[in-house]
Amino acid sequence: MALLEVKNLEKDFKEVKAVDDISFKVQKGEIFGLLGPNGAGKSTTISIISTLLKPTKGDIKYKGESIVKNSKLIQPKLGVVPQEIALYPELSGYENLKFWGHAYNIRGKKLKKRIEDVSEIIGVKERLKDKISKYSGGMKRRINIGAALLHEPELLIMDEPTVGIDPQSRNHILETVNKLNEKGTTVIYTSHYMEEVEAICTRINIMDKGKIIASGTKDELIEIVNGNKKINLKFDKVSKSLIKDLESIEYISKLDVSENEIIISSNNSENIFKDITEVVTKSDSSLTSIDINKPNLEAVFLHLTGRALRD
Amino acid sequence: MLSIIKLRLMRLRNDYFVFVFMTILALGLSFVMGSSQSGNYKPTVPIVNSDSSEYSNLFIEELKNSKNYNFTLTDYDNAYKKVDEGKVLMALIINKGFQRDINNNKMPKVSIIKTKDDIEILTTENLIKTNLAKLKNNVNIAKVTTDYISGIKDVDKKNIFNKAYDLSLENWEYKRPMSVTRKTITDGKWSEFDNFKHIIIGFTLFFSMYTIVFGIGEILNERKYNTWQRQIVSPLSKGAILGGNMVITFMIGIIQVGVLIMASKYLFNVDWGSSFLGIMTVSISFVFTVTSLGLFLSGIVKTHSQLAAISPVILTSTSMIGGAMWPLEIVNSKILLFLANLTPQKWAIEAMEEIAMYNGSFNSVIYPSLIIIFMGIIYFILGIKLIRFE
Ligand SMILES: Nc1ncnc2c1ncn2[C@@H]1O[C@H](COP(=O)(O)OP(=O)(O)OP(=O)(O)O)[C@@H](O)[C@H]1O
Ligand SMILES: [Mg+2]
Repeated sequence: MALLEVKNLEKDFKEVKAVDDISFKVQKGEIFGLLGPNGAGKSTTISIISTLLKPTKGDIKYKGESIVKNSKLIQPKLGVVPQEIALYPELSGYENLKFWGHAYNIRGKKLKKRIEDVSEIIGVKERLKDKISKYSGGMKRRINIGAALLHEPELLIMDEPTVGIDPQSRNHILETVNKLNEKGTTVIYTSHYMEEVEAICTRINIMDKGKIIASGTKDELIEIVNGNKKINLKFDKVSKSLIKDLESIEYISKLDVSENEIIISSNNSENIFKDITEVVTKSDSSLTSIDINKPNLEAVFLHLTGRALRD
Repeated sequence: MLSIIKLRLMRLRNDYFVFVFMTILALGLSFVMGSSQSGNYKPTVPIVNSDSSEYSNLFIEELKNSKNYNFTLTDYDNAYKKVDEGKVLMALIINKGFQRDINNNKMPKVSIIKTKDDIEILTTENLIKTNLAKLKNNVNIAKVTTDYISGIKDVDKKNIFNKAYDLSLENWEYKRPMSVTRKTITDGKWSEFDNFKHIIIGFTLFFSMYTIVFGIGEILNERKYNTWQRQIVSPLSKGAILGGNMVITFMIGIIQVGVLIMASKYLFNVDWGSSFLGIMTVSISFVFTVTSLGLFLSGIVKTHSQLAAISPVILTSTSMIGGAMWPLEIVNSKILLFLANLTPQKWAIEAMEEIAMYNGSFNSVIYPSLIIIFMGIIYFILGIKLIRFE
């Protein structure tokens, strides 16, 4: 049985259909990615899963039981890292963690220990006595995540946890997610940065305009656009015979030739490098550089919607 | 619920400012307003007698009897000048035809020169109106009596008129301050309405309302900080979230009222009567109701700044209507007096004055306290219905 099952979920806000009939399953131990541009409906989906919002239609089951009907089933097991910083600015990092620990029924010595462990994980130990309002954006993000970890949640939901922070904090956060996952935490990770989702997620849903437009592992998704693999070759000189020989390779769909450069578009990837190498060695041109444009999720999104993921 | 209470204790820094501010405002303003209205201060009111008749003289004489004012005769130009220069608050003009109007059984006309409206002027105007009505009535009674008697006998009309007038005037003496008469009967004691005490009680309640409403309004700040949403998705129940905030606000409110009562007692020597339990009961009921009112208001608005915008309007207007600024005794409008009954302030002030001013017993606060609590329950129910948990 899946840990979480989302079934025909819909959410209407007056005029807007924020989530439009989506279904998916999250298995235990996964890092499940929700990728999509601004306004795709990621946060809305996550708000419904975390019991903040009620769906207009559809159901969500946690270990087979509906949490739409009974939110108490999932709440103690769930860690939620909201998109916006949700902390008390006039309290210190320590006091914030203390309260959120309390809210999840952790008390006394255990709470102290957990605050220590968590601040270690998120790397804010030295600054814990300072007020949140004095923290940098990255520090706030880290405490924002820490507040969701105190009760060792079974399922951790993170809504764009890296928005607007420095690359160092960002890498730290991604590492943290991986570490938590290794220890058994299932993660739902939302982002509109495809690099992040590519880097850590085991399975990915691509959302757009309230719908899931593609889902699968990263490789499965990239398979969708594999027809568009591009290889960029540079030579000291380009001869007619070289072009002719390359054209004769059947799965090369297109050749863009300029002065010293040939860009190859191909459908199939398996033999392409071997075949190209053979042709090039035979010719009297010598290769100066080779650059392979691997398709990524950005390309998948572009392919599916005709729009870029980020504007 | 305990975790919310602990949270609010950690966050007291937020409430603390409002608390201190309201304490200072309440005490400071009570002191300023109280000292200008009580004690030996007797405002001077110039009178211009343009009628110079028997009745206008009677009227002036009667006004001069008033203990709290210094009525002096002068001419129009002088009176106008004094008001204009701010040396006196107002001047009274007895218009020509004063006596004729009374003789024709019409309400005689008097005018007031003033540059503004304030509580003191309103009180003075009220005194003048009362005396005017009194004069007209007395003259009528005296006239009827004189006519009647002189119809039977040939007597000294003038003498009879004067006697009848004095007699009916005497009657008024007993009827005049309603509350005093009532107290005289029930307690056998003669105590007077104490304006300074009234202001202290009114301001204690009025300024506490701010502390309380902003105290419960903290839940709107939670929404701003997004911590509200985080609390909702945590295992904290809605009851615990609201309950914790209500309890802590209630306690802050009780402390606020307590501090103001104590401060007025020891700083200004205000005597709060002999029923501590009574004062406590009214305070507790009132603070509960205002906490619920705050919950209700927080349910209507979306943000804390909206709450900060509507609270002064609502709290000030209901406090005015409810008599926290000036005694309801000077209000004539039936509508306003009816509306006063709908404010918790009115009942709380009445109940507290019963004890602090007229030395009433605990029993006298039971009924008003129940009414206050009843209002609180209504606000509470509306409040829970309106607060959004999304
Ligand atoms: N409370 C709300 N009331 C009305 N419309 C809303 C509300 N919340 C979201 N929406 C709308 O629903 C749509 C989806 O919003 P959502 O926040 O779920 O997108 P998102 O994928 O999280 O985007 P982002 O990357 O910007 O966070 C948007 O068009 C948004 O304007
Ligand atoms: Mg979002």
